[in-house]
Amino acid sequence: MTEGVRFTGIPSAEELRGASGIPSQERMKKGPVAVIECVQEIPCNPCENACPFGAIKIGDPITNLPVLDGEKCTGCGTCVAMCPGQAIFLVNEAYSETETEISFPFEYLPQPETGDVVDAVNRAGEVVCKGTVTKVKMPPSYKNTCVVTIAVPKQYAGEVRSMKRLVLAESLPAPEKRSTASQLVCRCEELTREDIERAIDEGATTIDGIKRRTRAGMGLCQGKTCERLVARILSEKTGRPLADFLPATKRAPVRPVQMSIVADNCEEN
Amino acid sequence: MKRFRTEVAVIGAGPAGLCAALEAHKLGARVTLIDENALPGGQLFKQIHKFFGSKEHLAGVRGYEIGRQLLKDLERSAADVMLNSVAYGVFAPNTVGVVQRGEHYAIEAKKIILAAGAKENYMSFPGSTLPGVMGAGAAQTMINVNRVLPGKRIVMLGSGNVGLIVAYQLMQAGASVEALVEAAPNIGGYGVHAGKIRRAGVPILTSHTIQEVYGDGCVEGVMISQLDQNWKPIPGTERAIAADTVCLAVGLNPMTELAWMAGCAFTFLPGLGGHVPMHDANMRTTVPDIYVAGDITGVEEASSAMEEGKLAGIAAAASLGYLDDAGAELRKNEVRARLDSLRTGLFGEKRQTAKQEQMRRMEEFCQRKDRV
Repeated sequence: MTEGVRFTGIPSAEELRGASGIPSQERMKKGPVAVIECVQEIPCNPCENACPFGAIKIGDPITNLPVLDGEKCTGCGTCVAMCPGQAIFLVNEAYSETETEISFPFEYLPQPETGDVVDAVNRAGEVVCKGTVTKVKMPPSYKNTCVVTIAVPKQYAGEVRSMKRLVLAESLPAPEKRSTASQLVCRCEELTREDIERAIDEGATTIDGIKRRTRAGMGLCQGKTCERLVARILSEKTGRPLADFLPATKRAPVRPVQMSIVADNCEEN
Repeated sequence: MKRFRTEVAVIGAGPAGLCAALEAHKLGARVTLIDENALPGGQLFKQIHKFFGSKEHLAGVRGYEIGRQLLKDLERSAADVMLNSVAYGVFAPNTVGVVQRGEHYAIEAKKIILAAGAKENYMSFPGSTLPGVMGAGAAQTMINVNRVLPGKRIVMLGSGNVGLIVAYQLMQAGASVEALVEAAPNIGGYGVHAGKIRRAGVPILTSHTIQEVYGDGCVEGVMISQLDQNWKPIPGTERAIAADTVCLAVGLNPMTELAWMAGCAFTFLPGLGGHVPMHDANMRTTVPDIYVAGDITGVEEASSAMEEGKLAGIAAAASLGYLDDAGAELRKNEVRARLDSLRTGLFGEKRQTAKQEQMRRMEEFCQRKDRV
């Protein structure tokens, strides 16, 4: 398994070490501070505007990774709610002798209540310990993103980044293999891959050619579903690139309309 | 058949079409906006997450709120809006055929802006037609527009932003996502979207594919298997997952039928979703009075669609004389700069390169035509 956010969705330890949004250890000890786990250059900068204290800098271009000024950060938590990627957390190591507070966005229902004991999860969603909810905040300025704060034992503070949802869908019985349905390429005309391949064997070399032989693309959807699949089968069977296969000729009506409406009116003219 | 004339006809009232119509109307052009749905907004009302980008792109605002704002702007404007209206064809000269509530219209426009959007790619595997297998976009419409949960246990195929975002939203709606399956060895979409669903406990299985879906009349199980470096299933790695719903998020492709009918020249750009109409820096196609904007020009996302719409709207209005050349260039350059900033970084650069190639081929095409 290859490490890192591109492969697992979880920033690797190395990616986090190199991130410019992670405060220093000294700053962490002083009290609540933003921990920005943003490690991919995407065009996004709401955190920069969200911070009332100018502690987050992205600048130009907007794909720059956020740089946190830990001294300016007051740990207010606004950026936690405003990051569209939900990649910002608040860590408060000064919470108590034994526990650290972690704040994270939580956009699921039901929301927890202060005092609840919940399952604290890591970046992979695995339960690592119990946490006690200390704050549940959702002022209008958070624009419907709830920020939950939980206190967890200090040794898990680096790992815990969320909590398990309070209600989960019920599980299904273990799957039992049943009869397999047929494999259709063109659903409207009920054509299988074999039907398309036969048309190619018979000499069809274009999407239009297959359409004439099989009616693929002549149903209700007018090829919106199957055209791409037919092109792919053509490309695979002939060894020619996909670019070679132009879409089938498009004629009116491109959407299903009642022909009498269009036809009757034509007669009048 | 009822005939009428307008200055700018915009087909499609999604983010691109809405912005095109509003912009052209603001500059003084007479605009007719046509959409087949009962409400304008396109896919914006399905987008319950906060958008990326910068303040100018309305970053941090949820998609449906952007939709509401655009609708308010539209209501305040005097733009003519035709809803429940199917644009079934584009005919010479510059005429759009529309059917609305049993009535047939021929709308002759000086300029036509095509903003028809994109459609979801489909995949064929044994069981792919079983009830419960659907496009991720369809599932998103069910939960966020119609408030119906398509199923309780979901398997998502595809790790682009659509797959990642819809997986998250299905969980917000109360479903459980059993696995996100991705054929490529890496995640296609933004790491932060992947991070959200990982924290919610969803395994992301890269180098995996769906072998088949089975069940008695509806989805009951999904057989997945691991893929080798050549994307071939590795025997013995098959594994069944209990699920009642399979969502396909395997890409989108531009809805180009009307551009094709209108005679616009096309080019093949895999990075943009396949065969797409060529256009210049004004969003004008090879047919002089026809413009394109949004996903029809190549699949991107809503923020770029809105900017492309604005660009097409300004260009169309300017070509009708509602702006002088200098004024038009100034406005267009503002939009182009915002577009450029969206097409940067790890994910955007590829789109920027493809877009530049699209416009380069357009130039080449026009030069060739001039020589002939």
